[in-house]
Amino acid sequence: MILGLGLIGWLTARARAARFDRGGRKRLHSLPAQHGWYVGMWTILPPLLFLAIWSAVSPSLVRQTVLQSPAAAGLSDFAFERDSVLAQARAIAEDPFAGDGDPLAQQLAPVVGATRTRYAWIGSAAAILLAFAGGAFAISRIRPDFRARSKVERTLMMGLLVASLIAIFTTLGIFVSLFWESTRFFEQVPITQFLFGTHWSPQVIDAKNPGASLGAVPLFWGTFFIGAVIAMLVAIPFGLMSAVYLTQYASATTRRWMKPTLEMLAGVPTVVYGYFAALTVAPAVRKLAVLLGDPFASSESALAAGLVMGVMIIPFVSSMADDSLAAVPTAMRDGSLAMGATTSETISRVLVPAALPGVVAGVLLAVSRAIGETMIVVMAASGAATITLNPLQSATTVTKQIVDLLTGEAEFDSPKTLAAFALGLTLFIITLLLNIVALRVVKKYREAYD
Amino acid sequence: MTKPASPAAHAPERQPTDWKSAAMQKRIRRRYAAERRFRMLGAGAVIVSAAFLAFLLVTMVAQGWRGFTATELALPLDLKAAQLKVTREQLNSPAADLALASGGLEEAVQNAAVTAFGPDGASFLAPSAWVWVRDAVKRDPSLLERRATINVPAATGFDQALTGDGDAAMEAGVARLTRQNAIRRGFNWTFLHESDSTDPVAVGIWGALKGSLMTMAITFLIAFPVGVLSAIYLEEYAPKNRWTDLIEVSINNLAAVPSIIFGLLGLAVFLGTWEIGGRVYGPMLPRSAPIVGGVTLALMIMPVIVIASRNAIKGVPPSIRDAALGIGASPIQVVFHHVLPLALPGILTGTIIGMARALGETAPLLLIGMRAFIVTPPGSFTDPATVLPVQIFLWSDEVSRGFVEKTSAAILVLLAVLLAMNGLAIYLRNKFETRW
Amino acid sequence: MTALSPAPHKMSARGVSVFYGDKQAVKDVSIDVDMDKVTAFIGPSGCGKSTFLRTFNRMNDTIASARVTGEITLDGADIYADDMDVVQLRARVGMVFQKPNPFPKSIFENVAYGPRIHGLAASKSDLEAIVERSLKRAGLWEEVKDRLSDSGTALSGGQQQRLCIARAIAVDPEVILMDEPASALDPIATAKIEELIHELRGRYAIVIVTHNMQQAARVSQRTAFFHLGQLVEYGETDNLFTAPREERTKDYITGRYG
Repeated sequence: MILGLGLIGWLTARARAARFDRGGRKRLHSLPAQHGWYVGMWTILPPLLFLAIWSAVSPSLVRQTVLQSPAAAGLSDFAFERDSVLAQARAIAEDPFAGDGDPLAQQLAPVVGATRTRYAWIGSAAAILLAFAGGAFAISRIRPDFRARSKVERTLMMGLLVASLIAIFTTLGIFVSLFWESTRFFEQVPITQFLFGTHWSPQVIDAKNPGASLGAVPLFWGTFFIGAVIAMLVAIPFGLMSAVYLTQYASATTRRWMKPTLEMLAGVPTVVYGYFAALTVAPAVRKLAVLLGDPFASSESALAAGLVMGVMIIPFVSSMADDSLAAVPTAMRDGSLAMGATTSETISRVLVPAALPGVVAGVLLAVSRAIGETMIVVMAASGAATITLNPLQSATTVTKQIVDLLTGEAEFDSPKTLAAFALGLTLFIITLLLNIVALRVVKKYREAYD
Repeated sequence: MTKPASPAAHAPERQPTDWKSAAMQKRIRRRYAAERRFRMLGAGAVIVSAAFLAFLLVTMVAQGWRGFTATELALPLDLKAAQLKVTREQLNSPAADLALASGGLEEAVQNAAVTAFGPDGASFLAPSAWVWVRDAVKRDPSLLERRATINVPAATGFDQALTGDGDAAMEAGVARLTRQNAIRRGFNWTFLHESDSTDPVAVGIWGALKGSLMTMAITFLIAFPVGVLSAIYLEEYAPKNRWTDLIEVSINNLAAVPSIIFGLLGLAVFLGTWEIGGRVYGPMLPRSAPIVGGVTLALMIMPVIVIASRNAIKGVPPSIRDAALGIGASPIQVVFHHVLPLALPGILTGTIIGMARALGETAPLLLIGMRAFIVTPPGSFTDPATVLPVQIFLWSDEVSRGFVEKTSAAILVLLAVLLAMNGLAIYLRNKFETRW
Repeated sequence: MTALSPAPHKMSARGVSVFYGDKQAVKDVSIDVDMDKVTAFIGPSGCGKSTFLRTFNRMNDTIASARVTGEITLDGADIYADDMDVVQLRARVGMVFQKPNPFPKSIFENVAYGPRIHGLAASKSDLEAIVERSLKRAGLWEEVKDRLSDSGTALSGGQQQRLCIARAIAVDPEVILMDEPASALDPIATAKIEELIHELRGRYAIVIVTHNMQQAARVSQRTAFFHLGQLVEYGETDNLFTAPREERTKDYITGRYG
């Protein structure tokens, strides 16, 4: 509706400006279309802004009005009870067959409905009025010497700035929301108990001392063991050797086909890996464990999750190593070959050491990726928090526990739910540090060879 | 500096290396062997990685193809004899489903199965088989007054017995029904146009697929404009100062923040404000609405789009900007008329890759609560919905064996969509890639 | 082409052509390289002189599209023959590049690289002796002897190039190929390199590519002039610069083109 008005404004303004142009007495400063944009902007933006504010404010206005209506006289004074009746009334107003509800809600429903409709009308009318007013104001300003172009461009520039600020707001939003919920958690559980406690069993929480069963060390260990040890033992050798082979040995054709193939490994959704890990890899690992003489081997072993995660990470390591190797000047390679070194000697003694900072940064990013990976461990790792060095035993991770804690039926501010946010905050800070260090190393490394 | 008068003269002379000596020849052979080993190690790493991918795909196809097939049984039915307590008028009312269900249809179907297929006949039918009959009756009420044969889905166990993987009773049933010529196999259309269900033979992915598409639409509508505009600002106009640096650092880090963190953000923000504040009067928004998931995913992939767009914009040579500025275009016009169209293929490629990532994402949606049991596809952006990866996750948790093949089949659908998207990205890149 | 020396040559090229895909970069060139002599390849850029130089230690092998025909011998053995081992060949025919390319390792490790991979040093002290001797021969010892563990990339450009020369002579090559070794250096560093070439002459057969005619005149005993992939003239340096036989050589050395 408002967009339509904007279009009309755009067309009239352009026509009007064009008429000035044909009048020919004075040259227009800006093109007719730019006047059009100017008017369109004035027609659309103010009502949109108004509607945004209105939709935020009107619910409380509706609430006020309904509470003051005579039908609301019988409402309880308790906020909780009152709100529940109002919510039912609202549901009935939207859909008359929405169930039985209590009689008071039935009674209130028409009032709620009517009030809502009224305020909706007021909002729309005001918006349209604003659109007309804005449009008229803008059209009245169209003159040959009017600098429509710079006005439009200044607004557009503001839009660009706001768009780029969203990244900061998101980061800030993440930090504030995690921090806020975590502080609430740390009011109930001392931070030291959470960070250094070695017992984790959120299923049984002693209300008097919730921290006793919320010690996160087993989770940190499991995360580190699966993500940074097992997964990396798979990803680093395979990723690095793949990159070496594809950049130094493979023919152009092989490289053209195999590089996208390996990249496909990164494109497979993690839920697919998780399903694969749980359905195929984990039973195989368990069979192996039984063969090795452990009849009680877990079917949710750290090894199964870590292996599959490692495969998922291969392309990350490989593409970072690929980039780093490509950044080493050809002169290095030629210098080594001219000394009579074989290709493998050149790679392992000159190229890889020269590319090492880039490779290390890639591994750091890969670790950050692995410890933040969720679905594979949710589906294939165990929920039992144990500290073990045996990859055939079960281990759990931070991400798995976050999902488990938040998908249960718990109150929003129980220590259980809030613990998930504290875990999230820890994860966020660790990955953030890893990323910052890695990005800095990469930047330094790039500068070294530029 | 004291000039060393031919310093080499003072250095002790060495015997020239005898390259032909046996020791040296042996050493050379050893070095070449090491070279071959190293090369094979590299090739092995590539092959093993590719083999894992192949193994994964083959496993999924091997398990999933059966999800696209359906086994149906031709069930002779005499509903007139069953004397259902249903009237024609009820059939035309919105309450038809209820009327048929309470009118004893399910029992009638089971009786018909016993009559047709023997005493254990009812166990050959899927638990939801009567729903097929119900829908057939609704389409053609005359079925209530005559004898007819209706195709209904077979039970999962029966289906497995067909491939020689079932228990003895079912195997016997298969043999008997094969003689009766009552088994029909065909493509499982149900799977493509139905939604979730408790009965594995009745499930479909359309609901999840539609939910995915709607969620992706929201994600695109937010992440694409914001991402591109922000890339334009940072690449073309932003002054070099501490604020811009902060934005850059934020974007680079957001791109590497684990997806689950975005789920926590979504949980805290959207549910904290929208649901609780709006519970009474505001727009009623279920936790699993596509709009909630879409916004969360948009925040997640926006940095990907920003980074790809910046690279694409960076790739446009400065000469084009200079040329446009030289003929009097304003900085805004330069970007929107000249730079942006040239950078668009790169931007689109990056966007598609970001969208593919969002499409496969599960964890954040799981957290914000998009894990509901959805039996009807969402009609609008504020309806409860689920998405493909979450549907896969939910089915993978089911105990019933019939869900294994459905999970794999859903994975195949998801992979096919992703492959199509990536193919499109590669096509765009190859078609419009310009070397400056 | 006149025969220059009756003695057996250290290296000889006979009818050598180099192709990059379909493009012929070097056309049917024959040349001899002798011990105790510095041979200079001169010519305008893109004339194929560097490409030709790289055929002497088969560095063109690293470029997939490059193809070499003709025959090049080292002590009479064809270096493109199947039984010629390229690793040994490159140890015997060392190379110094246009841009100094020390490895990102310590000065010591840069020089020790060759002896290590070829197993030339019997012991640690032997290796240290080789490094010291090579650095002394390259005239770098006095400047770096107290900081052998510093990174090779931290040296100045001229020092880096002398380090690369030290690295090349550490494996006791018989021939040293130098591809415009001073073109990236300032005049003082260039003078040092030229001085060094003088000192090394007695020990190795040296081939140097340069586009600087004065340099060729100063350091070499023989000069070959290349143009458009062809060897135009080849002879004693003094003769070539004072009495060129070919018109094109004359035009080039008098600065008519280049």
